[in-house]
Amino acid sequence: MNYFQKMRGGGESPPKVGVFEVLWSWIGSFLGISAVAFANYKILDHTGLIFIIGSFGASAVLIYGAIRSPLAQPRNLLGGHILSAVIGVTAFQWLGWQPWLAAAVAVSTSIAVMHLTKTLHPPGGATALIAVIGGDSVHNLGYLYVLMPAALGAIVMLIVALLVNNIPKNRRYPEFWF
Amino acid sequence: MKEIPGGEFRSVDISEKDVVEAMKSISGYIDITPGDFKEVYQSAYALAIKRLLDSITADKIMTRTVIFVDQEMALVEASDLLAEKKISGCPVVGSEEKIVGVVSEKDFLKEMGFGTTPSFMQLATHCLNSKSCMIRRLHNKTVGDIMTKPPITADSTMTIGAISTLFAKHQINRLPIVDNNGRPIGMVTRTDLAHSYHTLGEREKS
Repeated sequence: MNYFQKMRGGGESPPKVGVFEVLWSWIGSFLGISAVAFANYKILDHTGLIFIIGSFGASAVLIYGAIRSPLAQPRNLLGGHILSAVIGVTAFQWLGWQPWLAAAVAVSTSIAVMHLTKTLHPPGGATALIAVIGGDSVHNLGYLYVLMPAALGAIVMLIVALLVNNIPKNRRYPEFWF
Repeated sequence: MKEIPGGEFRSVDISEKDVVEAMKSISGYIDITPGDFKEVYQSAYALAIKRLLDSITADKIMTRTVIFVDQEMALVEASDLLAEKKISGCPVVGSEEKIVGVVSEKDFLKEMGFGTTPSFMQLATHCLNSKSCMIRRLHNKTVGDIMTKPPITADSTMTIGAISTLFAKHQINRLPIVDNNGRPIGMVTRTDLAHSYHTLGEREKS
């Protein structure tokens, strides 16, 4: 297969899931995002603290919509967000004077570290990026960003996933912890 | 005359369609492409086959009651023994009961002058067509005169995968299993091998 032939794909796409799966994905993600959004807007209102970041929307796809995926397991969810948050904040603090570079370094390094630690979680890349492009409200948090929203938000979403994903008979979560 | 083509045997392989169908029967979104799954499956399957072939060794499938003959034995005695035991071949031993060859129906037929790939039908045809039977050529000969040597042997740790290869490569029907001193301790026949493959397919209840 040469370079251009590879671009044609040629494999089959996986099948569509049933209505049942769609319904439980919706219920789980609604409750998971409700929890972190409620904490953010109702509890932490006017405190300057944040409990929700954009990357949680992506995590919701995985931990409520693709719960068998290796990328959706607790190890990946927590490890991915926490490591990426550390890298994102560090990238901003060291390279913040060149935002384009800080953004690129944050995301690429997060991916590498997540790979090395077997914690690959796609939303982690967004968590790292938000640490750089998130504006003053995020920048002012400094390394608190790692603990909250990243770690605590992920933990809340994980608790909801454990509670909701195991209600239906033929759904189970997680596949593994570590 | 119908010839059965001895073409390459291709085993039935898993297709992406099979994978897609299987995925449909499992609830939830499975985060792998059918192509990747097929690749993983094929690799795992090859490993499993290798593990199975390596898990069964000669000592597990061989017949332990080995009947063998001395190379000095007269052919008439040897054929008498083989007939009595209802076997078509056996190892031949020399001094200290060490294996020196293998003797079988084929060697008898070869000695009678039926070429390098003799068969009973050739013998039948010949004997039906002429008064004299070529069996006379076998008088006054010993096992050592007609046996196939050197013998192809194996030790008891050889895996059935390796034994199969040996059978195919040397066109043999039986393989004497010998100890460290070259004494026959067992025999693996094509039948033993076929039975061993039959047990491979049996899965343990999980």
